[in-house]
Amino acid sequence: MNDYIVEMRHITKRFPGIVANDDVSISIKKGEIYAILGENGAGKSTLMSMLFGMYEPDEGEIFIRGKRESISSPAYAAKLNIGMVHQHFKLVQNYTITENIILGMEPKSRFLGFLPSVDVKGTNKKIAELSKRYGLEVDPKKKIEEIGVSTQQRVEILKMLYREAEILIFDEPTAVLTPQEIEFLLEIIRELRNSGKTIILITHKLEEIKKVADRCAILCRGKLVDVLDVKTTSTKTMANLMVGREINFRTEKTEANFGEKVLSVSGLDVRNDDGVSVVKDVSFDIKAGEIFAVAGVSGNGQEELADAIAGLIKSSGSISLKGADISEMTVRERSEMGISYIPQDRQEVGLVLDFSLGENLALKDYYKEPFCKNGILHHKAFLIHGQKLIDEYDIRSGQGAKTQVRSMSGGNQQKAIVAREIISDSALMIFVQPTRGLDIGAIENIHRQILSERDKGKAILLISLELEEIISLADTIGVMYSGEMQTIAAAGSLTSNQVGEFMMGVRSV
Amino acid sequence: MNYIIIEGLAFALPLFIIAIGGIFSERSGVTNLALEGFQGFGAFAGAAAVMAISGGNLAGIETPMFITAMVFALLGGMVFSMLHALLCIPFKANQVISGVVINILATALTAFLTSQFNTVLFGKPTNKFVLGICEKFTVPFISEVPVLGAFFTDVYYYQPIIIAAALVASYVLYKSRFGLRLRACGDNPHAVDAAGISVSKLRFIAVMISGALSGLGGMCFAYSISASFSPTIYSGYGFLAIAALIFGNWKIGPTLLACLLFGFARSGGYKLAQVLGLTSAFADIIMILPYVLTLLLLMFFSSTNRAPRALGEIYDKGKR
Repeated sequence: MNDYIVEMRHITKRFPGIVANDDVSISIKKGEIYAILGENGAGKSTLMSMLFGMYEPDEGEIFIRGKRESISSPAYAAKLNIGMVHQHFKLVQNYTITENIILGMEPKSRFLGFLPSVDVKGTNKKIAELSKRYGLEVDPKKKIEEIGVSTQQRVEILKMLYREAEILIFDEPTAVLTPQEIEFLLEIIRELRNSGKTIILITHKLEEIKKVADRCAILCRGKLVDVLDVKTTSTKTMANLMVGREINFRTEKTEANFGEKVLSVSGLDVRNDDGVSVVKDVSFDIKAGEIFAVAGVSGNGQEELADAIAGLIKSSGSISLKGADISEMTVRERSEMGISYIPQDRQEVGLVLDFSLGENLALKDYYKEPFCKNGILHHKAFLIHGQKLIDEYDIRSGQGAKTQVRSMSGGNQQKAIVAREIISDSALMIFVQPTRGLDIGAIENIHRQILSERDKGKAILLISLELEEIISLADTIGVMYSGEMQTIAAAGSLTSNQVGEFMMGVRSV
Repeated sequence: MNYIIIEGLAFALPLFIIAIGGIFSERSGVTNLALEGFQGFGAFAGAAAVMAISGGNLAGIETPMFITAMVFALLGGMVFSMLHALLCIPFKANQVISGVVINILATALTAFLTSQFNTVLFGKPTNKFVLGICEKFTVPFISEVPVLGAFFTDVYYYQPIIIAAALVASYVLYKSRFGLRLRACGDNPHAVDAAGISVSKLRFIAVMISGALSGLGGMCFAYSISASFSPTIYSGYGFLAIAALIFGNWKIGPTLLACLLFGFARSGGYKLAQVLGLTSAFADIIMILPYVLTLLLLMFFSSTNRAPRALGEIYDKGKR
């Protein structure tokens, strides 16, 4: 009929309260890298989950190699040589790499000469060869719990290759990787394409698309906006189509207006569970109306610094807020004194995923009126409060304040946390990697909110791994390396190259 | 010394086979507190079958009837365990509650059915099927060896059966394709699902295996300690088996060691009571020895134990 390997025609998929895909049609050629671009919650993953047999479309048809197929399960998708690397890896932690790869398609051997059994030893060699062929070196005998995230991703890719997948779907593959690992992954993706595979790349990162993709479909709120040839389209055009409006790449920032000293940290030391010193003698002040941004490569003590100030982990040294010593206070006392905390791990620390949105939005105040009177919780108060924040901060969810937070997209989860922390009107706000894993629209939104809080006279501690974010938001920059504050300087006095050198520990004052 | 080994083994092995059943269920991710009920119901099914076939007169046909009992106990335990599987897997009930309810149900149901059976068969509504004690054998020559020989002296017929069953179970769990998938289910069912294997079906079968093996274990207890089927079969063997498998870190080998420890603690306790010449009231106190030991061991060792990661979690495809 034609040379399209995958065609999805007029696909519609509804979930309670949300149309995830609305009459979407895409056609993918054999041997191309086809990107699917869209904000969080635009329906990219849902669309591809249907191709992989996790859901079935409510309306529309799927054609694979020109033949109409109803893909009812991942097993059937595998039969059609479709493989998927999920955003959340599906690996058995206490199994070796080989065992994970062969699960479901186990090669047989004979145990004691006659009993059919799984041939793990013989396969180790085959897996090692396979991994070498595609430049994905792994040690097949290592257990998943012993290897890092990027290696786990390789295992997921090998799983598809072992099953001889021809159509490979990558769902946000770079979200969990460091910049170097991303480069490496993109190289692998290119190589896979060159060996004849068809690649579908779900992402919201424009740079990656620009680097590897041939064509790109843009989804916005469940609808297909456009399909573009990547080479001839600018990133700016793609970004605007994706968000559905003009966006500024540069954040508008007014002159800072410092007030009184809000936070004062001096001689702070933190040891981790193993007794290793991770924050060493750190001292700094933050004034009202100041964004103090801490730059640093991941794992140099920044997260521990934030946790120590919020009271989540023990520290020695002094921390004072508005002149009062808070270093011996509990988390709740600190929060009531005026600390808001947007943690790095929003799902683990920031939210209770199985609670409703309304409940999550009141997590800091549930024990106070109007939520709780005489020790009894009032559910209506949660709903009213929740709805108010949902409207004010444009938090999108299926069923309003009653939505289970787990079912919301990452961007909206983050919006919920930020809304909760902003309305408590604290003197100090701590943001740790506030835009991690978010798309452009959501990042822009968060940045605007950070700046508007600053302009309201809040003291802001921003910890980020993204140098760009630091440079564009900070009034004062501190750089941490191996637990020590390398330098503290006004934002204008450092170039990003200089900050980078401090981050790597190669420059000192 | 010989007494401790002989009696200890006779107790430890049925416990072991029940614990292996528990391992199958729990390694697949289904919490199984229903082992107690499974072993009791299995023993009931076996004993009832023997009564129905023999008409109550076992003289001369002990061995064929013993085999009949074992087969029916296996089947009975398996069928009864399907209730737990049904509640926990398709109906997504809480696995702890399901287990507890099934234990209560088993006690009540088997007591009721036993008296009904006895009324119909013998016209007496007693709650007991008298079975006698399973026959024993002694291996010539080897049994003469000091200490070690005790392991080959006065061996109940069921003991080699259990050892064979345990070997087969180890092979299935650790070497076969089914076992690989089963253990994966208990760690990350999403991985199993993504590999195109039905998590529900696998767990269902795992629970049925636990029922079958527990039934076998219960039957052995009925043919040794109590010499009959009666409500005394529900005296915590299933829970002790759970303790053993937790202590054994959900692995078959270490679980055997835990069972042997419990068995020897029990027989050692009896011996102690005998030597000290305690009255039966005090001897009862000695019977709690294995349980006290369990408590102490769990206190010291459970910190290093690691339960299957997905144990007790209801599998829900949509959950991330």
